[in-house]
Amino acid sequence: MSTVAAPDLLDPKCAAHNSKPRLSFSAKPAALTCEDERDGGRVSVMRWKTVSAIFFLVVVYLVIGATVFRFLEQPHESSHKLAILAQKLEFLAVHGCVNSSDLEDLVQQVVSAIRAGVNPSGKSSNQSSLWDLSSSFFFAGTVITTIGFGNTSPHTEGGRIFCMVYALMGIPLFGFLLAGVGDQLGTIFGKGIAKVEKTIVKWKVSQTKIRVISTLLFILFGCLIFVALPAVIFKHIEGWSALESTYFVVITLTTIGFGDFVAGEKGGSESPEYLKYYKPVVWFWILVGLAYFAAVLSMIGDWFRAISKKTKEEVGEFRAHAAEWTANVSAEFKETRRRLSVDIYDRFQRAASIKRKLSSELGINASVNQEMTPGKRALSANLGEEREAYANLTLSLTPVPAALSANGSLFLNGLSPDFAQRLEVAVVENSQ
Amino acid sequence: MNPLGRSWLLLSGFVLFYVIYLLFGGLVFSSLERPVEEQLRRDLDALKRRFLNQSCVSAAALEHFVGQVLAANRYGVAVNPNASSDASNWDLTSAMFFANTLVTTVGYGHTTPLSDVGKVFSIVYALLGVPFTMLVLTACVQRLMYPLVAAPLHQLQRCGLEARPAAGVHFLSLLTLVLLCLFAAPAAVFSALEGGWSFLDGFYFCFISLCTIGLGDFVPAAKPEQDFKQLYQVAVMVYLFVGLMMMYLLLRTFHKMADLHGLTTFLQLPRCEESDQEEDREPIVENGQSAAAAAQKRPSYNSISDR
Repeated sequence: MSTVAAPDLLDPKCAAHNSKPRLSFSAKPAALTCEDERDGGRVSVMRWKTVSAIFFLVVVYLVIGATVFRFLEQPHESSHKLAILAQKLEFLAVHGCVNSSDLEDLVQQVVSAIRAGVNPSGKSSNQSSLWDLSSSFFFAGTVITTIGFGNTSPHTEGGRIFCMVYALMGIPLFGFLLAGVGDQLGTIFGKGIAKVEKTIVKWKVSQTKIRVISTLLFILFGCLIFVALPAVIFKHIEGWSALESTYFVVITLTTIGFGDFVAGEKGGSESPEYLKYYKPVVWFWILVGLAYFAAVLSMIGDWFRAISKKTKEEVGEFRAHAAEWTANVSAEFKETRRRLSVDIYDRFQRAASIKRKLSSELGINASVNQEMTPGKRALSANLGEEREAYANLTLSLTPVPAALSANGSLFLNGLSPDFAQRLEVAVVENSQ
Repeated sequence: MNPLGRSWLLLSGFVLFYVIYLLFGGLVFSSLERPVEEQLRRDLDALKRRFLNQSCVSAAALEHFVGQVLAANRYGVAVNPNASSDASNWDLTSAMFFANTLVTTVGYGHTTPLSDVGKVFSIVYALLGVPFTMLVLTACVQRLMYPLVAAPLHQLQRCGLEARPAAGVHFLSLLTLVLLCLFAAPAAVFSALEGGWSFLDGFYFCFISLCTIGLGDFVPAAKPEQDFKQLYQVAVMVYLFVGLMMMYLLLRTFHKMADLHGLTTFLQLPRCEESDQEEDREPIVENGQSAAAAAQKRPSYNSISDR
């Protein structure tokens, strides 16, 4: 039995679009830890970078959407604008007794009526009210599910205030319900998937393939039951095109709810008997379909998360590589610097020793030897020790003939990269 | 009673209560709104009759014309004579505003895609954009939890309050703050900027938008002759985003408070958990606790075989 927990229940949108699609109702005792607090200071710096990156991406996404919509829609809008203007002019031309200001008045009134939700065409007597019980029920449903079509909306002050209070209490309530329904849906579907997976396992397919297949099946069956089938029904009953029906289904089930298409608006005297059950069925479909879409959307959200994690991992790897490379380079650099400084001091020493030998050969007084003060001698001794310590490194880096390395004094000279010079000095020293 | 039976019972209880709640709402709305609707209808009829009486227009021609206006309005085309020819519902900021209502699932409906391709694109755009936006909101709220919730709670507890009253006090103060800054203040601004909006209308708009219901009866920055229309629309978009974030934060705080007061366990609901912890966690942070939490991660629909 799964040990998953239901989504954040107080908000249907939160339940719907939370990062992890969660399935069952069982309560998981979560530790209300202070983890945020403890590492908020350090980790929050990294986190804000990610957040701003994602935010930037969202803005870019919005701009892209805006440009595409504009490109697609503006021509249509212009043509419709021209059409209505032409119709107005035609009306004025045909009916000469109407002046344009009267006409504008009428148009204004019609528009306000439309905005108030009243259908201005036809006689008002045989039109069903927009606020009879079933329509009000439907409206209350659109408020609680946060779809909010808007084809009907409250116009009285009392209605608006009540709407706010009603929504405040109803939305969390619906959130609980949605979580519960999604739960049961997940269980039912999970059982079905388990059966399918049992048969697939016999074919000895890898685990990832099974997961992919089950995801695909979930999407396919869900779309069939909650999208395709209702779309066909709407097309038949409402008289919309296939695209319009699909559009309505998606816009409703993501709770966007524009209201340009609303199922069940066709009421009145010509509706057949079965339409009485139409609206409740639509409402029930919305409930279950919302749960399905919640799962789908959270799955998409998971993919985004996985992609971003993968990108972060790759970036992290890259960063690690870069750091390693930098460390290597700087170590080598340091080593070269050390060798160079050693080399320079080495040459100085050699020069001094050559000078000493020459002076001793030439019989110059021993005062020259005192140039090597005790401090300097100690230093040279230390340097010699140090150089012995680095001998391995340097020996590996510079080619030193084996014969030379054996000799102690020549060892010092062995560190010089300049072979010829070494040889000269060696000769000089050996000749001593 | 076994847990499974109890869960089913609770669920059916919820459904029943939900249906009753809807019925109740329907009744109240009906009794409030129907008289107004009747009045409006009568006014419109009177206007039509007056128009017909004084002119040579036949009833059929009038109906035809009204039908055309209706169709135009349904397409969101402005039928005002004062609308300047270059003001469109689809200039860049308006289109962006529309895209914003799409991805936040508010969906006012004051402008809707007219073309078929536009509708298809809306579907795809929404399917990708809605989870994306939710992800961003969740991420932002998660970051805000520390300075706005954890730190003040810590402060309050340091001042000597116990955990439960501290949570209550903190939630109430956060609620008041949100009400003032995100509802009352913008409502005042909107009622000042929009002609014909009272303060209540502005408040109503803020509430309907921030709950993402988005009825669309009030939409700011929609008038074609609005001054600084672009800036206004961008400001409203920012307000929507910040408002949604704060609402979500408020909900999470409420959930945590309910946890502390034992409400959630009583109703057999899951407690609020730090759900997005695996995001952005540095490996250095994963100690035994979060590793245990990670081990109990929920399987998703596509990994049911994990059960």
